[in-house]
Amino acid sequence: MTTNVSRSVSALASSPGVRARKFADSLATAVLWAMALSIILMLALFIIYMFYLGARYLTPSFLFGMPKETTAGGGIGPEIYNSFYILILTLVFTVPIAVSAGIYLQEYARPGRFRELVVFSAESLATVPSIVMGLFGLLVFVYLFKWKFTALGGALTLTMLNLPALMRVTQEALKSIPDSYREASMGIGATKWQTVLRVVLPSAIGRMTTGIVLIAGRIFGETAALIFTAGLSVSANAPYDLNPFHTAETLAVHLWYTHSESIVPDVDRIGNGSALVLLIMVLVFNVLARIGGRALSKRLTGRPT
Amino acid sequence: MIASIAQRAHRNERIALNVLRFAAGFVIFAMTMLLVYLAFEGTKTFFVDRFSIWSFLFSPNYDLDANHPGAAIFIAGTLMVTVFAIAIGGPFGIAVGVFLSEIAPPRMALVLKPAIELMVGIPSVVYGWLGLTLLVPFIRDHTSSPAGFSLAAAGIVLAIMILPTVISLSEDAFTSLPPALKEGSLALGATRFQTIMRVLLPSASSGIAVALILGIARAVGETLAIQLVIGNATAFPVNIFGPTSTLTTVIVGEMPSATEGSLQEHALFSMAFLLLIIAMVLILLVRLALRKRS
Repeated sequence: MTTNVSRSVSALASSPGVRARKFADSLATAVLWAMALSIILMLALFIIYMFYLGARYLTPSFLFGMPKETTAGGGIGPEIYNSFYILILTLVFTVPIAVSAGIYLQEYARPGRFRELVVFSAESLATVPSIVMGLFGLLVFVYLFKWKFTALGGALTLTMLNLPALMRVTQEALKSIPDSYREASMGIGATKWQTVLRVVLPSAIGRMTTGIVLIAGRIFGETAALIFTAGLSVSANAPYDLNPFHTAETLAVHLWYTHSESIVPDVDRIGNGSALVLLIMVLVFNVLARIGGRALSKRLTGRPT
Repeated sequence: MIASIAQRAHRNERIALNVLRFAAGFVIFAMTMLLVYLAFEGTKTFFVDRFSIWSFLFSPNYDLDANHPGAAIFIAGTLMVTVFAIAIGGPFGIAVGVFLSEIAPPRMALVLKPAIELMVGIPSVVYGWLGLTLLVPFIRDHTSSPAGFSLAAAGIVLAIMILPTVISLSEDAFTSLPPALKEGSLALGATRFQTIMRVLLPSASSGIAVALILGIARAVGETLAIQLVIGNATAFPVNIFGPTSTLTTVIVGEMPSATEGSLQEHALFSMAFLLLIIAMVLILLVRLALRKRS
């Protein structure tokens, strides 16, 4: 009996159909591995290539110097500063609104028309192309409010662009907190808001920080939405202008602008250098997101996420 | 004493709820304003300048001196780069999504996932710059294209840019399937590949559709990465190695020099409005696909 079974099993296993299927299976596995590895390889090549192109230009005079309109040798000091300035302005607006809206949806909202409408608006806002958002910013802040090109206009445009992503991050972070936390807190008499503020939010802060820093990286490199809102030139008070009503060209915008519109002779130097700085910043934001989120979470809850 | 504490807590509760509700309401307000404003500004071509919608959509004659802003070239350009991008990035992304959910050992996922997150973070203009310094010269040297700026260059850059979206959403689609599906198929003697192709892929189809639709949405709206490599010619491409323009590239290219209130500006706003409509349609499609699943 057993020999019969084992004989028929081995016959089946060596039959051409099974062998073909097994071969197809191994082949598919190999192909999928190759595809996944090719992504990592491609990314690694990109990074190495950009360092190869740009590393030699990262001198202090380039990183901190003033840009030039017509002659070679311009730096990107004010652009780097503007990128950070607009990033911070944007976060100042985005974080409170998006976190509040996220808390509302996740902790408070009951199913109904208002909730549906908020969710649908957020989803739609999330798919609006950034260039379209840029034109909306142009209509509102430049034409309607007559601000001209300003850091504030740029930041507010980016706020609208990034609200949905940050709301989502908040919701996901809150969703990951088990209900037992809330029940325990309300069980000892805390109100809902006290529960959210003192129990749920501190537990979720690690994940939220990770998400916020990743989004910050994206804001740092945003271009299309800023061209028509924050402008294509640096302010007269550059490099370090704190006035949000002055024009503020960011680094990403500068990279695009020097290549497609400006007439400086050393476009490649500025392009390669700026692209590398942008890439390094993205790497920094990605590393910070992980470390920062973990550290905060440990400090506030005593356990790593 | 206790009563006053409770009263205060109750008051705080009410204030908090109102603030949160206000923030949520702001999202609705923002989206409504965007829609209304762009609809108003984007239809001026038709209502103020009296240009026909039909010609705007289907005429390839974009001649501002003759007051004839036909946008067919740009609409076709957007369609072509999107199809190109999704034809390459779609299957590739789904395959890597399957790999992540079904095959990748934890250690591989630990490397691949941050790599994909990094790809999301790389600014669009850096992708454009990479395309400009790597892809464009390559196409110039190896094809009939005289300058290298081409539909193909834009399509390839876009294909890479939509990968993270397609990968992570299709991975979600696979991991959210009930494990019994896979177990049942494997227990019947199917190989892993058979299980993926005949059981998992069909069951995850609505999630994969969502991944592809959002990939398309990203491709349609992408601007600077393709503006740097597509050549920005106001003409249909002669072949895939020919230069052309898309809706987004013509907006970003011409808006800086367009005078406020001119027909050119109105036409560009009409194109932006069209992009917004496409985005909204795609979102509705996503909702449809998700409703089908549940």
